[in-house]
Amino acid sequence: MTATHTPSTVSRPSPPSGVRRRRALLALALVIGGVWSVTGIDVTLERFLGAPGDAWDIFKRLWPPAMDEALDRGVVGKVFESVYIAWIGTIIGAVLSLPLAFLAATNVAPRWIRVPVRQLFNAIRAVPELIVAVIFIPITGLGPWAGTLAIGLHSVGTLGKWATEAIEGVDTGPLEAVEATGGRWVSGMRWGILPQIMPIVASFWLFRFEINVRASAVLGMIGAGGVGAELVSQLMFRNFSAVGAVLGITVLVVLTIDTMSAAVRRRIIAGVTRTGGPDDGDRNAEALADLTGFRR
Amino acid sequence: MSEGGTARPVRPRPRLRTFGITAGLLAFTGFAAREVEFAVSTFWEAWNNPLWEKFWPVPWDWVLDRSNVLDPLVETFQIAILATIVGCGLALPISFAMSRLTAPNRPTYLVSRSVMNVVRAVPDLFWAKLLVTAVGIGAFAGTWALSVFSLAVMVKLFSETVDNADPRPLEAARATGSRHLPAIRTGVLPTVLPEYVAYALYVFELNIRASIVLGLVGAGGIGRVLEAQRQFFRFDRVLGMLIIVFVVVFVIEQVSVAIRKRLV
Repeated sequence: MTATHTPSTVSRPSPPSGVRRRRALLALALVIGGVWSVTGIDVTLERFLGAPGDAWDIFKRLWPPAMDEALDRGVVGKVFESVYIAWIGTIIGAVLSLPLAFLAATNVAPRWIRVPVRQLFNAIRAVPELIVAVIFIPITGLGPWAGTLAIGLHSVGTLGKWATEAIEGVDTGPLEAVEATGGRWVSGMRWGILPQIMPIVASFWLFRFEINVRASAVLGMIGAGGVGAELVSQLMFRNFSAVGAVLGITVLVVLTIDTMSAAVRRRIIAGVTRTGGPDDGDRNAEALADLTGFRR
Repeated sequence: MSEGGTARPVRPRPRLRTFGITAGLLAFTGFAAREVEFAVSTFWEAWNNPLWEKFWPVPWDWVLDRSNVLDPLVETFQIAILATIVGCGLALPISFAMSRLTAPNRPTYLVSRSVMNVVRAVPDLFWAKLLVTAVGIGAFAGTWALSVFSLAVMVKLFSETVDNADPRPLEAARATGSRHLPAIRTGVLPTVLPEYVAYALYVFELNIRASIVLGLVGAGGIGRVLEAQRQFFRFDRVLGMLIIVFVVVFVIEQVSVAIRKRLV
């Protein structure tokens, strides 16, 4: 390379040192973790390779869905029961979480109450609905009320956290104005803060409702009301075309509710400047996590 | 109307439609409440329920026995690790197919997107139950179910990252006459890789949590023991197990969060 204007081999930057070593370490950790896990789950290569085929055999038999049979058995009613559970559960969660959120926000609550309320939110979020339902079923008996309570109490964790973050992002001007007129703490919250956060908090509630519809469908699997029980019993009888119908109806209703709720949420938020609230990317991640039943 | 110079603005009158919607929602709520057998009394009656006594005292020697709680818990984590590796590994190519920026062609984009939307609309434990039926009870089915779901979550998160990636390096790579895959490899992948790793760790945290309940439908791990003890009404053991599980999960999460903070 004698040409003066072809420095391509010269000027190409070399990767920063340490990257290779870190990459090797990461790869090693993955391999060790993977191998250790495989030994624990006792999976042979044959079984591993056979599984997609086995799964496909089942999925093939879900089609065509036995819609008539499902309608006769009242599957639509069961799906709606799941929706009712989610709706009432969300209302319980909303009613319990909103006052608590005011006690957890840095800008309006004193430290001695803030810390325990925040820890309460964290603890609630840590326990999945299914576990809450497992504890509630002996107390309330089998049925939709156990599922509703489980969803309601579990929702307090996320709804409380989101509302707290919304309160922390408000403009403090109105609050000061209320204080300047001699208003009490409660008046400040009611007239200085609540009107600012209500649109975003309402959209959080709707969002949580979407999540709860999926969660309540799952709760039926352990007997807490809703469509899950139907899926379990049809699978037990290996009545796969009925299973296909149950899945189809569930997915249809879930997607319809998602679309409707998302449209309403967009209308609520449109025209409202973002009042802080959780960082959007992070909230998406968390919301999605909730959506799928996987919780932080 | 106006007193003292400045007129107080008139409160807008609620429209008829607002009344209609409110009435409709109230009616729906009332109906739903009846359907779910709503009973406020549960909130205080629950405290007097004699069953609470069955939750106490926690039998610590049973809980701390290796084979009772610790071994299934380890199995739970193994499920979570494998599912994260499989799910996130598959998610990488599919995310690129699902992003408008990097999709090889429009049919691939549309098909992968709609398939993934349907996959996500089926609740996670429904997948677990289906796969338990397909491949048999145990951790193997759980691993599969969790893999499917990590895939769905990861693909959603990561394809959005790819959507928002800077398109210019990709254009530069294409301008050199590069084919599709090498262009993505050099033009997009390096810019999104840190977020990929961060999301993968995040999915791992989710999987750790999710794997705990998998056993409730027969998909292996600690949930299996939980379900068994619940059916024997040994709520004291259930409580002890839950305490152990949440302490361990909390520790793992803190470590993972610390790593994620350093990455991004």
